[in-house]
Amino acid sequence: MPKLTIDGREVEVPQGTNLIEAARLAGVEVPYFCYHPYLTVVGQCRICMVEIEGQPRLAIACATAAADGMVVKSATSQRVKEAREAVMEFLLANHPLDCPVCDQAGECLLQDHAMSEQGGNFASGMLETRRTFPGLERRLLGPHVIQNQNRCIHCSRCIRFTQEISETWALTYKNRGNNAYIDTFDGRPFDDPFSACAADVCPVGALTVREFRFRKRAWKLSSTPSVCPGCSIGCNIWIDHHERIVYRFTPRENPEINATWLCDYGRFLSESLNQQDVVHPKRRLKEGWQKLPWAEVFRALALDVKAAKTLRVVASGYMSNEELYLARELFARRLQGELVVPVFMGEPRKMKNGRRQWLYSQSALPNLEGAKRLGIRTVDEEGLARFLYGAADLTVVLDPQAHPFLATPEAVQLVKVSPTVVAARVDAPLLEAATWVLPAASLAANEGTWVSSTGKVQRFAVAVAPPGEARPLWQILALLARALGFADLAVTTPSQVFQWLVESEQSFAGLDWNTLLGAEQTSYRERQHVG
Amino acid sequence: MKTQAIHAVPPEQLQKVTFDEAMEKRIAEIFERYPTKRAAMLPVLWLCQERYGWISPGVIAAVAERLEESPAFVEGVVSFYTMFHRQPPAKYVLQLCVTLSCELCGAKTLAHHIKERLGIGFGEKTPDGTFQLLGVECLGACGGAPVIQVNEDYYENMTPEKLDQLLSELAREQ
Ligand code: SF4
Ligand code: SF4
Ligand code: FES
Ligand code: FES
Repeated sequence: MPKLTIDGREVEVPQGTNLIEAARLAGVEVPYFCYHPYLTVVGQCRICMVEIEGQPRLAIACATAAADGMVVKSATSQRVKEAREAVMEFLLANHPLDCPVCDQAGECLLQDHAMSEQGGNFASGMLETRRTFPGLERRLLGPHVIQNQNRCIHCSRCIRFTQEISETWALTYKNRGNNAYIDTFDGRPFDDPFSACAADVCPVGALTVREFRFRKRAWKLSSTPSVCPGCSIGCNIWIDHHERIVYRFTPRENPEINATWLCDYGRFLSESLNQQDVVHPKRRLKEGWQKLPWAEVFRALALDVKAAKTLRVVASGYMSNEELYLARELFARRLQGELVVPVFMGEPRKMKNGRRQWLYSQSALPNLEGAKRLGIRTVDEEGLARFLYGAADLTVVLDPQAHPFLATPEAVQLVKVSPTVVAARVDAPLLEAATWVLPAASLAANEGTWVSSTGKVQRFAVAVAPPGEARPLWQILALLARALGFADLAVTTPSQVFQWLVESEQSFAGLDWNTLLGAEQTSYRERQHVG
Repeated sequence: MKTQAIHAVPPEQLQKVTFDEAMEKRIAEIFERYPTKRAAMLPVLWLCQERYGWISPGVIAAVAERLEESPAFVEGVVSFYTMFHRQPPAKYVLQLCVTLSCELCGAKTLAHHIKERLGIGFGEKTPDGTFQLLGVECLGACGGAPVIQVNEDYYENMTPEKLDQLLSELAREQ
């Protein structure tokens, strides 16, 4: 492992580490625009220049491997400072400098660098008018990406993304030199299934995400680590939110699963987390719906549950391991009911990990693997229909979105026959047939763990408080358990349940709730990567 | 010297392109000379320009398919090189060198002359589609400045008089 000195700090790095990453390990920030840790190094922008003792010329840090005994100067070198100023002068010569109306402001590498290293001191020597790209200033490049070519700094990250990661080769430079601009073949829509990642990797505001544009200034957002609910792959995300509203998902770095990528489908599920149609617990009486406070719900519901001789429960592959554990313990073990988790494939999804291997979804459910590990019986559509067939004293559906079949008229008919408890967040046909409706919180207001189809246990944290009287499902289960007299199951945080999992389930042994969120300290670093 | 006229295939006939046997044969010959299909991109594009007069999106799509590349990638290459025509060219493309030697030896006068005689400036085409004027950088024939390249041929030491004669001849030829 080479040992080197950067700006006077000594650091030992793995063989093959480039000087940008080595500097970071030493606690020194070397600026970059075209470098991205998951894309090939092209050395185009030249902002990363550093001085290496014994070498007459400055070197680009992104394309220079750390070597033993190297003495590198970045912030401490006057020559480096001047060289970077020159690069910035070129980049800013034509840049519109429209940060106040640019949606990238606050998470723009060009702005960051201009303000931090240049200290905001910049005088342009440019006498001519700026180069512009009429017609390409507010262009819908594809369904999710808006292009403002005037802001492009020609780093080619977006192009390399489509070539190396999504493999659609959909983006290219057209023309050359000063006139080069980003385009698709014949100007056709940029419909890459990972298109918004091109906007992520764009270090400036040349490519921005249509859905997020102008909805919130980047610096107002808080980011909470979470996991994409879109499929079994389990990509790591940040839920970016402000004042209880979820504004977007951005990729959270995980070399094992999604590197720094998200598919468009998963990414744009973010908006759906704001939907909460069911806000009060309620019970159906002959004269109509009756709203009840939670305390009374549990008291009355416990009586119904106790009275039921036959109890059947539909859990869900969207539920956390902790919720599944509580459901299994309560309904299957203590109450001797039947418990199933429905399975469906949904649209196949794929994702590329940090080693450039494709991962393929095994199902649409983010925690099917967890349900399997807990030994809960899984059923397909036919099995689910059979499960719901005939009367039971009580049917519990913990998530009407657990399977598309639950949204069909057949399912409604089946469920209508017996008293049914439904925990739900959004309107669903099943609610018409329910006797009890309990408002459950979204992923953004929940915490717990899921197991990815690659077998990784991943934790998601609470981003926002649940709206109205909605509660996370684990809490509903815990409080119901207490009302039924199982005080030992009345946990106050899912981490308690996780501890039971660690102690009792082989496949969770040795895991630690506290380290499962992934490294939060990488957040700044990857923010830089994704632009 | 007789300069060959370009016969550009009209856009409506180049929307969807399938290579005929003769083209396929020549493409196969080109492939043989290169280690990868991608490496054969420029010669295949040249072949297409020779055959169709210009490179339409339809031609790009056909070449991309043949080379197993994305059409965006091929279009990026086409647009990089200014010598590929991306619009149907005129029969005679006058490429007037506007770099230093030619400039000093009277390129501007020639440009004015063309403007007066044909009514076209740089980047423009005569309405009948016979002539088109382009300003190009050094043609590497500074010894014969000022130089005009017409399609594939160089005309050196040009004067307004020689230009008049050339243009009349070309107009007659077509
Ligand atoms: S659009 Fe953005 S990512 Fe693409 S080349 Fe320009 S600056 Fe780089
Ligand atoms: S591949 Fe699956 S987990 Fe990853 S972003 Fe897409 S839907 Fe979400
Ligand atoms: S040249 Fe090194 S980051 Fe661009
Ligand atoms: S300057 Fe015209 S040919 Fe060189």
